[in-house]
Amino acid sequence: MSAGVGIWRCRTCGTGYFPERLLCSRCHGHDFVSDRVTEGVVEEITVIRHVLGQTEWQPRRLANVRTVNGPRITVGLRDESEPGMTIELFEEANAPFGAAKPVP
Amino acid sequence: MFMNAAIIGVGQSIYVRRPQPGQSTHTFIRDAIVAALQDAQINAREIQGMAVTSFSLAPDTAVDLAWRLGVSLRWLLQDTNGGSSAMNMLGHALRGVETGAASPILVVAGDATGLGGYAKIAANYNIATREHLAPLGHGGPNGVYSLVTARQMNKYGVTKSDYGHMAIAQRAWAANNPFAVYRAPLTMEEYLAAPMVADPLTRYDCVPVVAGAQAIIIAHPDRCPRGRAPVRVRAIRNSFNYDNQEGDGLQTGISTFAEELWQTAGARPHDIDVASIYDDYPAMVLAQLNDLGMIPDHDLATYARREIGERRVAINTWGGMMSAGQPGGPAGGLNGISEAVLQLQHRAGERQVKDARVAVTTGYGMTLYRYGGTAAAAILERME
Repeated sequence: MSAGVGIWRCRTCGTGYFPERLLCSRCHGHDFVSDRVTEGVVEEITVIRHVLGQTEWQPRRLANVRTVNGPRITVGLRDESEPGMTIELFEEANAPFGAAKPVP
Repeated sequence: MFMNAAIIGVGQSIYVRRPQPGQSTHTFIRDAIVAALQDAQINAREIQGMAVTSFSLAPDTAVDLAWRLGVSLRWLLQDTNGGSSAMNMLGHALRGVETGAASPILVVAGDATGLGGYAKIAANYNIATREHLAPLGHGGPNGVYSLVTARQMNKYGVTKSDYGHMAIAQRAWAANNPFAVYRAPLTMEEYLAAPMVADPLTRYDCVPVVAGAQAIIIAHPDRCPRGRAPVRVRAIRNSFNYDNQEGDGLQTGISTFAEELWQTAGARPHDIDVASIYDDYPAMVLAQLNDLGMIPDHDLATYARREIGERRVAINTWGGMMSAGQPGGPAGGLNGISEAVLQLQHRAGERQVKDARVAVTTGYGMTLYRYGGTAAAAILERME
């Protein structure tokens, strides 16, 4: 597990993207730098309870997350976070996940 | 307005939940083509152009299909725009006939993926899906549109039972479509008690995957069989990647051209007698109707409950994909066009809308990451 989720940020105008783009949709610059977003606000959640062709499926929680100074991304949720909560983001096997921020 | 091109015939294969031995994408497509040629009273040798879309034709392509059909062509197109492929092909074929590139042109769509094949397609839909959604176990489009549906419910105050009224109304239409895979009446109790698939989507919110194919024939209106009104397309518009996935997905690409579409067609929403709205999920039906300006005051909930639920408007009169079935995304779009043609030609049997004269058809699809990236709409009219 690595902290934050890797995104691509336009070197010219600073717009952040996930997934990767070829040109920036704002300024059409073609040069991107790697960046990481570490937290975001949960907007909607779903629980995937049934998948075609799968008989041993275990329900999985997914969320649409508005990242801070970054794009909206779809993440797997590792806990019972609900819409409106701020969660921390991390990667597992290069896939984006999130969970509630630990209480300091 | 196309003056020298019209839809003159339609045909479809049977729809089945599971393809049986001996049935394939190719055989369903053949059956739809044979039916359309017979309907249009055209010999296969006369076909000069063909457009095809399918998620499961590979490794064959359009020219392989021409070869297997034994038709030699001078106009050929293979479309890859999923739920709006049918509308896209319709536009290209109309322009092809209108400009003299080819006529007649056959437009066909079909799939027979089976459930396993569909699951593979869903997990490998594009690079973004394969790399960033499938590893989460997103469950294909159900996972994507569960989030969009939740967003729509929050923003517009649509309730679960509002969507239920839409599913029940479409099932009632399907009762009079012998090709629909689900024709038995659906009750609100059954709808609300259905198992959850991806919250808040339950079984009857998720379009059933079927195997089957559709075909239509575009030609000069004079080629329409005697005693049958050709169907002309007053206006057609498309949109691709309309917002770079930076919005909320509750507007579709139709929002970018709706006013121009109505103006070009010389029609308004109240002129519409029949609507075929691409219905992979009920939320997207409401989104497209809203973009078209057909929902007064953007009150989606009331429109779903009263206008659609009480069948005050004729929407998806063949039962839609929700009841008739979705043979891949592409053929489902062509089914909506075919139904509009049958309604405007007054050949829809027991589900005929009285004196239908003007119809709107749409397409929507190709989920890029958070929602669909393609959309299209057309205004069709009965030529008297």
